Amino acid sequence: MMSGSPIQDSAVVTHDAPASIYVARSLAGALDALGEYGTAGAPFAGGTWIMRSPIRHQPLKTHYVAIGRLPELTAVRISSDAIEIGATITHAALAAALAGLPEFAGLAAAAGHSANPAIRAMATIGGNLATSEFAAADCVPALLCLDADVEISDRRGREHLSLTDFLKIRSTLAPGRLVTRIILPRTERKTAHVRLPLRRAGDYPVAIVSLSVSLDATSRVQAARIAVGSVEATARRWPRLEAALLGRPLDATAVARTATELTDEFVGRDSVDAPAWYRVSVLPGLVRRAAIAALGS
Amino acid sequence: MSDVSATMDLRRRDAADKLRGRTRYTIDRYLPGMLHAAVLRATVPSGRIVRLDTSRAARIPGVRAIVTATDAPGMIGIGIADHPLFARDVIRYDGEPLAAVAAVTLAQAQAALAAIEVEIEPLPAILTMADALAPDATLVHPDWRSYEVLLEGGARGGNVAWEATVVRGDVDAAFARPDVEIVESCFRVGRQNHVAFEPRAVVASYEDGRFHIETSTQVPWSIRNATARLLGVPASQVRVTVPPVGGGFGLKFDLAVEPFAALLARASGRPVRLVNSREEEMLTCLFRENADIRIRSAVTREGDIVGREAVVLMDCGAYGGEQIFLTTMTAHTLGGNYKLENVRMVSRAVYTNTTPNGAFRCCNGVYNTFALERHTDEIASRIGMDPLAFRRRNVLGDKDLGATGQVFESNVLGPMLDRMDTLRDATTLPPARSDGRLHGRATTVGTWFVFVGPSAATVNMNADGTVTLVTSGVEIGSGSMMQSLPQIVASTLGIAPEHVIVRAADTDAAGYDVGVGGGRTTVSLGAASLSAAQEVRTKLLKVAADMIEAAPDDLVMRDGRIEIAGAPGSGRTVAEVATRAQTVGGPVSGTGAFTGAGVPAMPGCVAGHFIDAIDIPVFAVHDCEVAVDPETGHVEVLSYRVVQDVGRALNPRAIHGQIQGGVVQGLGYALHEEVTIGDNGRVCQNGFETYRVPLALDVVPVEINLYEGAPSIGPLGTKGAGEVPILNVGAAVACAVANATGKRVQALPLTPPRVLELLLDRKPELTLPHIADKWADNLIRPH
Amino acid sequence: MGFSLTVNGDRLSCAADPATPLVDILREEMHLTGAKPVCREGFCGACMVLVDGEPTPSCLVPAALADGREIHTVEGLAPHGALNRIQTALEASDAVQCGMCFPGMVVSLTHLLTARPDASRDDIRAALTGNICRCTGYERIVEATLLALATR
Repeated sequence: MMSGSPIQDSAVVTHDAPASIYVARSLAGALDALGEYGTAGAPFAGGTWIMRSPIRHQPLKTHYVAIGRLPELTAVRISSDAIEIGATITHAALAAALAGLPEFAGLAAAAGHSANPAIRAMATIGGNLATSEFAAADCVPALLCLDADVEISDRRGREHLSLTDFLKIRSTLAPGRLVTRIILPRTERKTAHVRLPLRRAGDYPVAIVSLSVSLDATSRVQAARIAVGSVEATARRWPRLEAALLGRPLDATAVARTATELTDEFVGRDSVDAPAWYRVSVLPGLVRRAAIAALGS
Repeated sequence: MSDVSATMDLRRRDAADKLRGRTRYTIDRYLPGMLHAAVLRATVPSGRIVRLDTSRAARIPGVRAIVTATDAPGMIGIGIADHPLFARDVIRYDGEPLAAVAAVTLAQAQAALAAIEVEIEPLPAILTMADALAPDATLVHPDWRSYEVLLEGGARGGNVAWEATVVRGDVDAAFARPDVEIVESCFRVGRQNHVAFEPRAVVASYEDGRFHIETSTQVPWSIRNATARLLGVPASQVRVTVPPVGGGFGLKFDLAVEPFAALLARASGRPVRLVNSREEEMLTCLFRENADIRIRSAVTREGDIVGREAVVLMDCGAYGGEQIFLTTMTAHTLGGNYKLENVRMVSRAVYTNTTPNGAFRCCNGVYNTFALERHTDEIASRIGMDPLAFRRRNVLGDKDLGATGQVFESNVLGPMLDRMDTLRDATTLPPARSDGRLHGRATTVGTWFVFVGPSAATVNMNADGTVTLVTSGVEIGSGSMMQSLPQIVASTLGIAPEHVIVRAADTDAAGYDVGVGGGRTTVSLGAASLSAAQEVRTKLLKVAADMIEAAPDDLVMRDGRIEIAGAPGSGRTVAEVATRAQTVGGPVSGTGAFTGAGVPAMPGCVAGHFIDAIDIPVFAVHDCEVAVDPETGHVEVLSYRVVQDVGRALNPRAIHGQIQGGVVQGLGYALHEEVTIGDNGRVCQNGFETYRVPLALDVVPVEINLYEGAPSIGPLGTKGAGEVPILNVGAAVACAVANATGKRVQALPLTPPRVLELLLDRKPELTLPHIADKWADNLIRPH
Repeated sequence: MGFSLTVNGDRLSCAADPATPLVDILREEMHLTGAKPVCREGFCGACMVLVDGEPTPSCLVPAALADGREIHTVEGLAPHGALNRIQTALEASDAVQCGMCFPGMVVSLTHLLTARPDASRDDIRAALTGNICRCTGYERIVEATLLALATR
């Protein structure tokens, strides 16, 4: 009979150093640390994506800078013409902060129904925007139809760019640069966020329609923003459908019919959870629901 | 022989510690000096191992032992010994073990795995049963003829690991009758993962020349015997003990990680802990198998089934395992529910280069019931008969013959259907919602059985009036070990069930047992425990009779006392009698044993079967109402009702808990839980994000009615109640969705994309070209 | 460098690597095996603990961010070996089967009883979106929660 043989301890070889986590005490400190670490470092906010690296077989970065509890980044500032959202506010906290503001019902729904309760209390808005691999992010389409601007900071200063532009550059954001705030202009509008998980709740949605409309005195659509999430790798607006809404009353059935004619502009993504065609096929129905929800908001 | 009822809503004694986080499952056991192990697994579905060099890995700090194929010479299996512990030269599935390492820390063990040098020459892979059955298909086991046959009788050949047939009557003549409609249906189901919350886990040590394996299993004796066989040691050198098990559902009805830890413990001289990662659990689960089913029936316009034939293909993955046994079950599941005059069925376990499948709650029954009930609805629709009326006319009744010629006793399904009518009619339906959804309802029937088989029990009477029940039973969560067994023993001896101490499984302490599964715990272990307790009772009554000066026949045991019938307060406490007995003749104990009754089948009509007839049939009637969203394909279950044949309900509340849980697991199978295999041969769903089990918002409270009184050879008239609740959930949901949508539901699970696909007619109807049109052409061995 | 955590009222130090998940520190360093690492992705809730009073999947909290926090595990929810309100209700309802999910269920529901004393049946079901049970089909757990809410 063969038998496995015991092995005596041999000379110690140093193995890979574990990831370091620097808990920043101030935004300036965090930006300094990120600047110093360069490509070896990354921000760590809620941790709900980074801590799941093992299942994606992705190695951890060498250095993380924990930014989740910086007071500068966890505030929501509401003024009469804009709302400024700190990047590390959690989904749960954002939903709570928006509770009394009907014009942000869509964003509140996005933040308040993503994932599950405990994850909503950890995952941050900045993380949701910055994680380019996460196609099913709820807040991205919700913010796209609110004309959000993103503030990016680094050691040298900060700049603003539209969320649409940010989404184009986020996967190549230079090391040391951090999403610090999201700025939303305030206007009179009706918004809605319709997400389609495969179960009733708890899943990442396989398709999302976020909608924002301003109606004139005769209830005709004056301005419309419609964003589609999870259907393609990155959420984006649906300009042809937006244009088709203008100048007419918001009629859910009619909007859905128009959407059916325009879905061919989306090339769905195939993934383990849902095939491409499905994500596209459900869009008219989600548009219809979004219109009904917006009218009721 | 007892003076008090065994029926009660006894609470579980293990609940409080489970609620406080104190219960130590196998994953919670950390021994002094313990090493951590990890398994190197293949990353191709098919290949030849050119080189496997562990020398660099052995030099990684902390590594204490490495074992490979040369350390495990044996082969195991059911029916045929086709399965080695490690891939030897040939890799047959993605995830197949190549080597195992034990180190001081898990990180060191994983680092060592990465340092093992492996060179593999990829070979073409057979990933589907259609590929496996193609003419000139590559063989998953080119040497299949050389394997040791453990049970004679199954036909084998090529990629068919096992074939079981049943033929009764003249099916050709029935199909040729001028007065019949021929209805043919095809079905396909995917795999289901048990998602036991405790992964397969073991802590093994090697003490005094014997292995001690502490493991999360349903089958301590199978682990003992299979580990010994793989390692090439006598089975008596392996001791298996089982802490509380964190979920089984059939996953732990087979060997998994135990031999790796045992080998590493022997090699290192230290205890070794091996716990599967969740990803390993997701990718190498012994899934409920995927299956392809074709069923044809010849039915008169009056609604009589005069002939039936079927072909069932079950994917066993790279090794035969449980599916070889399960080929037997088709005769009793797809061949169940309805009386049949002429029938022929073939059930084939097919090798593919995919991760091996295994046992899962109502193995084989769940999808065959789906197929049979959908087929039944298609028959009813074809002949223009109400589906419930058709069922009533055809369900098995007293003296009816089952597929294998077994004679069924008593009318059970008929009255159960009546009971379901009453249950359904008693509920006021919610007002119809004008939300644009499609509504449908269905009532389905199902036939299952109790997997009886050998069990042993010992009851030791303690002088303090308590008893210790020693069996190889395992508490997997179903509660049988915490509720029904102590209830049976306590009622026999007239003591409180809390006074029955239940010993956790230890193969050194208790006799052979088939394992906890197949609805057999209350029945087989219960019968053994009952007879052990009765022996103790007889002995105590004899001693008590001397003490009280009364005839044993005049004595009763109740409330912890032995006293003269009709004279409460007379006599002595059980403790006093036990103490006296111990002094007079030594400690009192009793032993009991049980196995199946062996119900006869009709001679000559089955081939390749492990059991010819079912000793204890179990029936179920399910009713379900659904709403289907035509825009998204989402199916919402609006109500669910179960009438279940339980023989006798010893603990009705516990059974209700099993039914709610089993139905919800079935809803997962019917609606959410999908396993797909990629072109690389790997399971695509590697975690909880993509493998979706039902959540609290996805379920409904199940309305339950327990049908008591059907005949059973189980102790006190019991039948297994925990396994069967999942049986016809897939069937009920599928029939309801078909009724709601008017579409031909041929596959499970009914995920939103699959339902929308049906609604939009995006896909042609399912056909199964790898099943030959002529039934006999599907057989390796003519029957 | 090490970290300092208060676990069930005890101040404990830990020498784990900074990115080590809290659940592993609790189980392997502190021998508190109540929290179960089941999915390690925040979906199942079996490793739920209270971090500064908030239900948190301990698989997603790295050691460095547990530093200085007040942690309560299922072992620390009821003093002196008693059962708290939700544990009592779950026990009385015969809700437990295999038991692996219950440490997390109990943590989430203990929090729910105080945070949402007026929770409805549907609120409870929604609150359990991140607590999976594979055995029970949830019904008894929801019933027990309603019972606990009613017996405050």
